[in-house]
Amino acid sequence: MSPLEFIAVALDALRANRLRSALTMLGVIIGVAAVILLVSLGEGTKNYVEEQFAGLGANILIVTPGKIETRGGPPIIGAARHKLTLDDSRILEKKGYLFGGVAPVVFGAAEVRQASRSRNVTVLGVNKDFSPVRNIHVEVGSFVTDSDDEAKRRVCMLGRTVKRELFGNANALGQVVKIAGTRFRVTGIMERKGVSLGFDIDDIVFVPVRTAMDIFDTDALIEILISVRNKNDIESGKELARSLLFKNHNRHEDFTITNQAAMLSSLFTILDTLTYVLGGIAAISLLVGGIGIMNIMLVTVKERTNEIGIRKAVGARDRDILFQFLLESTALSASGGLAGVLVGALGAGAIRVLVPKMPVAVPPWAILLAFTFSVFVGIFFGVYPARKAASLHPIEALRYE
Amino acid sequence: MESAPGSEPLLRLRGVGKIYEAGEQPVVGLEGVDLDIFPGDFLAVMGPSGSGKSTLMNILGCLDVPTSGTYEIKGMPITRLSPEALASMRNREIGFIFQVFHLLPRYTALRNVELPLLYAGVGREERSRRAIEALRAVGIEDRKHHLSNQLSGGQKQKVAIARALVNRPSLLLADEPTGNLDSRSGEELLAILTRLNAEGSTIVLVTHDLSIARNARRIVYIVDGRLVTPEEYRELRG
Repeated sequence: MSPLEFIAVALDALRANRLRSALTMLGVIIGVAAVILLVSLGEGTKNYVEEQFAGLGANILIVTPGKIETRGGPPIIGAARHKLTLDDSRILEKKGYLFGGVAPVVFGAAEVRQASRSRNVTVLGVNKDFSPVRNIHVEVGSFVTDSDDEAKRRVCMLGRTVKRELFGNANALGQVVKIAGTRFRVTGIMERKGVSLGFDIDDIVFVPVRTAMDIFDTDALIEILISVRNKNDIESGKELARSLLFKNHNRHEDFTITNQAAMLSSLFTILDTLTYVLGGIAAISLLVGGIGIMNIMLVTVKERTNEIGIRKAVGARDRDILFQFLLESTALSASGGLAGVLVGALGAGAIRVLVPKMPVAVPPWAILLAFTFSVFVGIFFGVYPARKAASLHPIEALRYE
Repeated sequence: MESAPGSEPLLRLRGVGKIYEAGEQPVVGLEGVDLDIFPGDFLAVMGPSGSGKSTLMNILGCLDVPTSGTYEIKGMPITRLSPEALASMRNREIGFIFQVFHLLPRYTALRNVELPLLYAGVGREERSRRAIEALRAVGIEDRKHHLSNQLSGGQKQKVAIARALVNRPSLLLADEPTGNLDSRSGEELLAILTRLNAEGSTIVLVTHDLSIARNARRIVYIVDGRLVTPEEYRELRG
């Protein structure tokens, strides 16, 4: 009996019991569709995060004070013993031939007040490089300039949210606000950036870095951002920054240099794990579908005991019977798997249309994996009933009514 | 038993016994059966129900193996064959005709007849050609595309004969083949068997009905698992 004939016999048997076959398949369909949908959500989330980060530039090095022995993860704020200063930033700028921009950052939180309205916001002290390095630009007015910085001018750029909260629809450019009690002139309004990873970039006020040092009374930087001009030079750029700072810190490595890519990769590791966990949970439902197959195959074998007897009487060997029933269960699970792939893909499409905010992306590997797994489930749960069928004694099988 | 001169037996049974280990007490199904069946024979095995004739038929048909004695088909010992080899013997050497037909109900007559060829590994076209030929031999070719459960009893049994014939076996084994047929279909069926025998088929017919057994050339009697003479049979049956 050729494999094709085995398949034909199996499909015949499934057609003979359409409703039952369909219901049995449903278990597998739901399992496969669930795997594909959940994995697609996980994958979509990953893509979403990737997009969010892409706007911030992938070729960025982040220097933070303090040496932290971690790989990849974001540095822990406050672990510093030795400060990063503008002097470090200046050295990096002067000797960092691989760098496109060097942006020292001072961080503070302050109340911003305009007339009767006030708002507690994040205040970042930055230089002119911050804008290109972080890919954040003003929509109207101008960003921090070198002369603003050197003169420690009391100027500020408002994020979209801050502007709206303080000025509503009125013109803010050239107006005066009070930051931590000090008068600042608004010289720029930032473009809308939205929320990135739960952090509202539009709820920030930017001031020149030296001005920020004055109002927060500090000479310590929270970080120095460096953009590496050529993407391929990330590693050598990192090494260059390290050796420059090492020298400048009297041969102490009391700082940490992270790059965006490394941070992303650790985040993606987490997201991947999440995807696998979701897929794994869905796979359990596929297993349940497999048990359904086993159940129905046991019923089928019982019902067709006489048929098995007839086939054996005319010369079917045990393994012919084994293959026949194994193929039947596999055909059940494989067609269920195929339908499940369809349902899963359509479901992902429907989510994309109906809930555009929900990130979904159907990865081809998930389709392949879910389908392969469903076939495997059919084989695995088909073995026991098929063996039972094959081991029937022909005489008893013939006698069975 | 008696032997036809100048030919080797097709089937040879010597001291064949079958004991069933069912329940607490072993049950004797067959005991010390010696039997030779020659090519071209038409033998009736005659006995009341429970006499062991079904057991004998199962052993002859390689559906079961004896627990003692030897059984040979064409000189090949069957007693110690693997289930796999037994299946192959059934496929090539034996054609079964059952009282309850045992056709696959969802299959057409043609596909039922093709079944033994399927397991013999015969290709699709050849299979179909030979199956049609077998259906023609029993005069039911016109029903080949009917599902078997749409056929009458007589038609079903003809299809079953075609299925038994299709792989050109050494032996046709018919177990009460007329038991579920009306008398006209029964007669027609016996006529077919007689004709097939005349054309060279070796046939063993198992029955409890003497009028049916009389169609055979030779009758053996079985009571309580043992072959007996006609005189003993009459005596035992009262």
